[in-house]
Amino acid sequence: MTQLTSHLKLLEAESIHIFREAAAQFRAPVLLYSIGKDSTVLLHLARKAFWPAKLPFPLLHVDTTWKFHDMIAFRDKTVRELGLDLIVHTNHDGLARNINPFDHPPSVYTDVMKTVALRQALDAGGFDAAFGGARRDEEASRAKERVFSFRAAGHRWEPRRQRPEMWQLLNGRLGKGETVRVFPLSNWTEGDVWRYIALEKLDVVPLYFADMRPVVTRNGQLIVVDDERMRLEPGETPVMRKVRFRTLGCWPLTAAIESDAADLDAVVEETLAAKVSERAGRLIDHDQAGAMEMKKREGYF
Amino acid sequence: MHLVQLREEVGTGPAAVQAAQKGALVRLLTCGSVDDGKSTLIGRLLWDGAGVTEDQRAAVTLASHNRAVNGEKIDFSLLLDGLQAEREQGITIDIAWRYFETQDRRFIIIDSPGHEQYTRNMATGASHADIAILLVDARHGAKRQTRRHAAICNLVGIKKVVLAVNKMDAVNWSEARYREIERDFRVMAGSFSFAQVTTIPVAALTGDNVVYRSAAMPWYAGPTLLDYLEAVDPEAEQEDAPFRMPVQLVLRAAGDFRGYAGTVTSGRIGVGERIVDARSGLGATLRRIATMDGDLASASKGDAVTLVLDTDLDISRGAVLSEVPRRPINADVIEARLVWLSEAPFDPEAGYLLRTATDLTPVTSMSVSALVDFETLASAPAHACNVNDIADCRILLGRAAAIDLFSDLPLTGNFVLVSAIDGATVAGGVITWAQAGAPEVGDNVLVLDRALLARGLCSDLGDSPADLAEFNRRAQEVAVLLRSVGVPVLIEI
Repeated sequence: MTQLTSHLKLLEAESIHIFREAAAQFRAPVLLYSIGKDSTVLLHLARKAFWPAKLPFPLLHVDTTWKFHDMIAFRDKTVRELGLDLIVHTNHDGLARNINPFDHPPSVYTDVMKTVALRQALDAGGFDAAFGGARRDEEASRAKERVFSFRAAGHRWEPRRQRPEMWQLLNGRLGKGETVRVFPLSNWTEGDVWRYIALEKLDVVPLYFADMRPVVTRNGQLIVVDDERMRLEPGETPVMRKVRFRTLGCWPLTAAIESDAADLDAVVEETLAAKVSERAGRLIDHDQAGAMEMKKREGYF
Repeated sequence: MHLVQLREEVGTGPAAVQAAQKGALVRLLTCGSVDDGKSTLIGRLLWDGAGVTEDQRAAVTLASHNRAVNGEKIDFSLLLDGLQAEREQGITIDIAWRYFETQDRRFIIIDSPGHEQYTRNMATGASHADIAILLVDARHGAKRQTRRHAAICNLVGIKKVVLAVNKMDAVNWSEARYREIERDFRVMAGSFSFAQVTTIPVAALTGDNVVYRSAAMPWYAGPTLLDYLEAVDPEAEQEDAPFRMPVQLVLRAAGDFRGYAGTVTSGRIGVGERIVDARSGLGATLRRIATMDGDLASASKGDAVTLVLDTDLDISRGAVLSEVPRRPINADVIEARLVWLSEAPFDPEAGYLLRTATDLTPVTSMSVSALVDFETLASAPAHACNVNDIADCRILLGRAAAIDLFSDLPLTGNFVLVSAIDGATVAGGVITWAQAGAPEVGDNVLVLDRALLARGLCSDLGDSPADLAEFNRRAQEVAVLLRSVGVPVLIEI
């Protein structure tokens, strides 16, 4: 098993450079913090970029109210321990209409509780730049993304009109009505993220490590039951299985995998040996062909 | 257990890190004309080189059968073309970034579009690459677009190029044909400053000489593409390059902390050494190299650090910190070669800004002097410049900027040109000549004012709107002509 890590320092320096360029050029940046492993690395790199100064921007968490309880606990602990400035936003209109992942198709639920919620929060805060932890290796349309990803008025991504981005030069000059999404982890892979977490000894949400959890199997996917809101189909009974998550999102829409990887070294080994891609466990991406590109055009990350 | 060892390996300071990093990350561009098989080649490299997961394999296999462009074969380009418009049209529009690793190396693959209309995306991709794989179709050899791509690779500073002669199956694996294309290409490459040119005969569709050695071409004894990529040294910089660090931000923190944050773009610096701000000429001694992981004794190219000096230089973003003996040029006139990226053509009257490493400087005037002809690769005099052109130009800056020549120090010698109106990046270029201390107004600057022009050149014109427009046109033309021979001109009419 290859355990290549000597390139991580190069990736780290590149990400720090991106953070500093964005902080210097944009009026009001915000860091999209989604609590998962990528956000953990993103936050760590941001702290390195500005150390010993404090982060020159707040964190924003879009809370769909369907995050795992362990995730919210981890978020609050992180914010407390590092003394961070966190904004939590929920689409209350969507909540009032009871938009949820059981009664609505994933595309509708994601649009209302994630994409619209994100647009609301960015507009409310008057943010002109938002850092995100998206990586180009995640998905085919993400592989096409720039580091400074410009969005037209209304946060729309126009993939055919992306700004040229040459060398290390990041042009952050905005046109009228434009905002930008900044992706410091663009060139990282899932394997890099885990190797870096191990190298830097970072804490992550415990759901990434294998443990006995209550699980139902639907369409071949393992769904962990996180609270009493779970609606069981006739004949379904949660059974305890040893599972973990490769990717964390909203709980009934993010599938777990069977695994014995209970610590960081085991997770790194398993990730590097994986035979399927990470997004295979994200149910929202399979809803429609080109699903991610469509969501991104609407203003999703 | 592996991880423990690796922590030690990477945690022993920047010098050790540099050594361990050499060649650890290789950025690779694929380019060439449309339909010469770029996406297929990369798809094949990933497919055979284990950069593709099982669910991606299944999805691509299914989609290939639906499209059936290669009969029953897998359409590898589907691994790369990630936008709906690309899949619908079966072409690559924007660059795609892919990643794979072998035992010792992590590769970043940048797959670029071949269509002429998307050249700006290709240039974006090329500027990030250490090595370019330039594809040609063995049946057709180099085309105009092949030459354009080679010229852009050269412009953005790529030093190592592989010519992959693809579709060898379509010419019956003919060595004679391969040698002919190789010969032609080496002649063409002679007009560029590539340090190393390698040619490999391949067939991306069948995988010959991509990851696996071809049985059909026993006459070829060189490396397969993957062999080459695993062995090549991506480093371009000479050993003792002068120290440069463009300042990104000034960081302030508790306890009177004041540090200059930036990435070292060349050379190295150690604590206790003298540093100078190139623009003001002010000097100081380096007191600390601060990072969250602890202070460092020295920093070298690629390190993102924060420098603390013994005296406050009162400098901000845009300054370039340098070693004392070999400093940047404090230039306000530059000559450059650029690739025009904007749909809107060059307009001498439009407002532009010059974005160098971390500085943004207003352009006072700019003129185009020559364009590269993609048939002959020679420069021909010109004054206009359109999208996808490579042009030589002369730029007068509103104030001095600390820069280097691109051929000496690429990361302080490159720039993008930004529209002052909408912020768009309209061109990317490299500085080929620079002069410090251009004259202020009244000191060698020719001021074209109304009276001067009305006396002679425009003496036939009256006050009608048409005449005024013609007056302006002649003034602009005179300015363009004078600027093109290096005379600084201001129009005040």
